[in-house]
Amino acid sequence: MQYVIKTNKLTKQFGEQIAVDCVNIHVPQGKIYGLLGRNGAGKTTTIRMLLNLVTPTRGKILLFEKEHRKKSKEIYHRIGSMIELPGFYENLTGSENLQIFARLRGQHKKDSVQNALKIVGLDQETKKTFGNYSLGMKQRLGIAAAIMHEPELLILDEPTNGLDPVGIQQVRKYLEMLCLEKGITILISSHILSEIEQLADIIGVMHQGRLIEEVAMQELHQRNRQYVEFEVSDENKACLLLEEKFGFKDYSVHENGSIRLYSNLEMRAKLNGCFVENGISVSKINIREEKLEDYFSKLIGGGELVPSTLL
Amino acid sequence: MFPLLYCEFLKLKRSKMFLISVLGAMVAPIMVFAGLIKAKISEPDKIITYLDMLEQTNLYVLLLFGVIVYGVIAAFLFSREYTENTLKLVLTVPVSKGAFLITKLLMLFLWMMILTAVAWVSTLVLSIVGNAAEFNVNVIIQSLEEYFLGSFLLYFSMSPFVFLTLWHKNLVSPIIAAATVVLGNVALANQDLAVLFPWTSPYLIASGDIAKYHYSIETALVIIFAVSVIGFFASFIYFKKQDVK
Repeated sequence: MQYVIKTNKLTKQFGEQIAVDCVNIHVPQGKIYGLLGRNGAGKTTTIRMLLNLVTPTRGKILLFEKEHRKKSKEIYHRIGSMIELPGFYENLTGSENLQIFARLRGQHKKDSVQNALKIVGLDQETKKTFGNYSLGMKQRLGIAAAIMHEPELLILDEPTNGLDPVGIQQVRKYLEMLCLEKGITILISSHILSEIEQLADIIGVMHQGRLIEEVAMQELHQRNRQYVEFEVSDENKACLLLEEKFGFKDYSVHENGSIRLYSNLEMRAKLNGCFVENGISVSKINIREEKLEDYFSKLIGGGELVPSTLL
Repeated sequence: MFPLLYCEFLKLKRSKMFLISVLGAMVAPIMVFAGLIKAKISEPDKIITYLDMLEQTNLYVLLLFGVIVYGVIAAFLFSREYTENTLKLVLTVPVSKGAFLITKLLMLFLWMMILTAVAWVSTLVLSIVGNAAEFNVNVIIQSLEEYFLGSFLLYFSMSPFVFLTLWHKNLVSPIIAAATVVLGNVALANQDLAVLFPWTSPYLIASGDIAKYHYSIETALVIIFAVSVIGFFASFIYFKKQDVK
């Protein structure tokens, strides 16, 4: 498989603190890679190292299968990026700002600025200067700057921060279109699970500077199991029955008398009858699928990812 | 390099900083003009020449106001990329850190020369308005040389302000440093040590007053050059090594 981004033991240390610890990322060509993690997990530092803004303490970065510091000009012309809240010159309009970056880049089509503004819905804002933009408009302009030269690789750090739900959906659709129709590889970081879940082909989970999981979305969905959930009056007695009478050990106990059984789901009616016969009242029976957020929550040791947005 | 420099000019569109700096460059000519008017009222017989007007303005610009204005401009050029959060975008275009630094320094040079021209033209216009005496083409040409030579030399003393800005990433420290330098200029006025102070010697060399002091022009030039090189290399090394956050 050809990797557009590949890192080997990428590490960044700020004084005593290790911000990124031996990270091995593999981003295949033409895929959307979602880098997921809580705030402070090391996502932004990793992205800054990929973009040559931060010097790694150790490790190697290969972009388009070339060492990132060698022929960096040639490599970075093929990349579009946006890191956190984008910055532009406040006294200039969106179009004037993009003109500057187009000139700095040197290679651009005549209508590239206007096209990029149209895509993000800022083509009508001809008079407003960047200083008077709303947070959402600033974010859109950042995305426009990242895509205007039609890069082969897009690196976006929390690109939907500050966007309204409709804006988030538009950006998501546009990124999907870029990947599917133009074959652009995208690395997108976020702490919002639903954003990554809906978009990414591959997910990398960062926690405390380490990449603790790198898995294809398809595989992840297969891993997530269905279970039947009983809400009972006496969970200890119910567990005893599950083990002694039925020999089931594939279950877990949760808050408020909730028991999750992960196998023999078809036995739920029989189990319900058994509980009632033994004086245990069952207030709820549900068949559920373990959500990704639970999976990630377990993965990062109970930490909180933002589960969803208003998508 | 030209597209980078051109972009530096584009960045100034609608910027109040350019207008403020032009007004700043006109402060010294206006002060000297006010002195001329005052003299005409209090001592009607006193003759104030074009040479007096141009020399006094150059003195105020190079020793007092110019240091602060040029220091603020140097700080503004670099600090805005941090405060407006644009550095990460510029560097990922990619623009090399070396090219970025050199372009900014070139822009500072051009800006200083523009302000020098503004100060010179303003003084000339105000001298005409104030009916100064003894208009002479040689005086005009000589003053032009003195203004631009002084600013050219002062430009080389600006690199420490660049380093301070890169280090602190704001306007405050360079302004404090510029104000300190101005105090130094005042304290060293008419003293031999003034030749050794790289922010005073540009005026002494440009005006020819350095001949009155014990130290040579060469000594002053070596110090200006050394300060410039140290400031530039410190800026370059620091900027090159520094992570962009």
